[in-house]
Amino acid sequence: MRVTYSLTVASLKMYFRNRQAIFFSLFIPLLIMVIFGLLDFDRFSGAEIGIVDQAENDTSRSVIQILSNRSDDLVKVEVGTLQAETERLEDGEIDVMVVIPPGFSDPGGPIKVDATKDERSPQRAALAVTLLAQTLSDLEKQRYSAKVSDDLSNAEDSPSFSNISQSTLLGDDRSYTAFLVPGIVALSIMQLGIFGVVFALLQFRQQGVLRRIRATPVNPAQFLFAQVSTRLSISVMQTLVLLVTGIILFDVAVGNSDIESWLMVIALAIVGGILFVTMGLAISGFARSEEVAAPITNLVSMPMMFLSGVFFPLDALPEVVTSVTQFLPLTYLADAIRAVVTDGAGIAEIRSELAGLAVWTAIVFAAATRVFRWE
Amino acid sequence: MTNGFKPGNSVIVAKDLRKRYNEIQAVDGISFEVSPGEVFGMLGPNGAGKTTTIEILEGMREPDSGVALVNGIDVIKNPTQVKRIIGVQLQANAFFDRLTLSELLKLFGTLYGQNIDPIQLLERVGLADRSKSQFIKLSGGQKQRFSIAAALVNKPVVMFLDEPSTGLDPQARRNMWDLIKGLKTDGTTVVLTTHYMEEAEELCDRVAIVDDGRIVALDTPLVLVDRLLETGFRNDRPTRDATLEDVFISITGRALRDE
Repeated sequence: MRVTYSLTVASLKMYFRNRQAIFFSLFIPLLIMVIFGLLDFDRFSGAEIGIVDQAENDTSRSVIQILSNRSDDLVKVEVGTLQAETERLEDGEIDVMVVIPPGFSDPGGPIKVDATKDERSPQRAALAVTLLAQTLSDLEKQRYSAKVSDDLSNAEDSPSFSNISQSTLLGDDRSYTAFLVPGIVALSIMQLGIFGVVFALLQFRQQGVLRRIRATPVNPAQFLFAQVSTRLSISVMQTLVLLVTGIILFDVAVGNSDIESWLMVIALAIVGGILFVTMGLAISGFARSEEVAAPITNLVSMPMMFLSGVFFPLDALPEVVTSVTQFLPLTYLADAIRAVVTDGAGIAEIRSELAGLAVWTAIVFAAATRVFRWE
Repeated sequence: MTNGFKPGNSVIVAKDLRKRYNEIQAVDGISFEVSPGEVFGMLGPNGAGKTTTIEILEGMREPDSGVALVNGIDVIKNPTQVKRIIGVQLQANAFFDRLTLSELLKLFGTLYGQNIDPIQLLERVGLADRSKSQFIKLSGGQKQRFSIAAALVNKPVVMFLDEPSTGLDPQARRNMWDLIKGLKTDGTTVVLTTHYMEEAEELCDRVAIVDDGRIVALDTPLVLVDRLLETGFRNDRPTRDATLEDVFISITGRALRDE
């Protein structure tokens, strides 16, 4: 126990004295998070409007037609039932839900449409409402001038209907950064586990440090255990740094902001850390030199980096791809951390992810014990 | 016995050790014994089997056959027990390079379950003033001396030194010789390998010359030389009372240069 503790403390000292290693393992994920977070992908695409047409009259059809046929791509229109569109709004699939009430713009009928904006994409929601208002006011003018030329005396009776009653959906924070931050936390746990262990052990082995340790009465398992616990400590520290940065810069909340949610994230950093550190041990046993280790490490980590839903939701990928990538270790870890951070999920809600992680850990552990070498 | 070996109380016994790596018979029936307090040298060309033999005695490599005892303990059956009582200096002086010398020695002490005074050990190898330096900052000679200090943390009965002076300048090498003589004075048994014949002559009570995995000669350096002379061998060099190395040391001094 004392041996493992001393070896762990020694490795931690070495880690913190190696400024380059700190830079690569700690600041790069931080940098990626800040860059992607500031890019704010909300701004890049057009607004999506879900229209619930309860009037089904000329005016409502004209509104839908005009908005759908805009030559620019500023807005995309979908028409559906109130229930369907409400769900889509809540899921963040549309930015504004517009309800055109029965009898809208008919004489004596309602003169207001309801627009419910998604607060998580304020720019796009505002754009959609502006375009809607513009459309309504154009229609109103057309009708007014038609009436005027038709029958001057009745012009005053024509109801004005370019009114929008606006409301905002106050939902959970589902901005891009709320998606990104937990993903980056998962990514950094993977990178730290795989890269940290592979290169540290290769270096120890090449320098002969492993042989020197083997010349002492220390049980090799104690040395490996110290390596694992070192990486896990760093992994937890890094997770906390990333989350605190997310909170400060991007207003991300960790679950219900209570101690349980934080403990869950720390526990996941350890669970994921064990999996990826073991994976690192397996790779360092398999790769005979640094020249081989680098490509193998990239080969393992790169697909997960981009196909595990770290930067973008998995549904952005073709189904053929996601049918495989949903089983990647990093997918399980990213999903679990995201569930805890964004939804405040408890253990029960992430049990399938935990099961996935457990299966992977067993597989990788079996591989590592087969291929690990001291020299 | 003429070779100075006192049988019966050997601290090291190697009997018919054999080790094969794929095509190569690295160790092919090596037997020898070392008595307590002796400095025993193994000479031989690269690949002769010196390092493999030493590694078997250190409990780091299992022989295909043979018997290896250190201080009466069967190395093959109880490698960990042997590791507790021996000090090891490997050919590559590898330590965690971002730890200070004090930290490394304390860590190694822990690995042997001992609390040690790092400064005292560093004083023994002349590195006390570098106790707060990281290993990575040391010169080659300092690293070699430090590895002796690290091998001493458990107050070993036997020290195994694999090419302790390779790559050192003459000053550092003489310093290493003094260190090894100091070990002998303290009663530590030393087994060392070397490529330097003058080193073997200077330090070793007995030497074994190893070639192709076998011991081809084993005796005190003096007896080995006498035996060669008896065959009528004479070298062409005129015998002088000093060597070029003596000239070098007398001009540049004995002070270490790597500080």
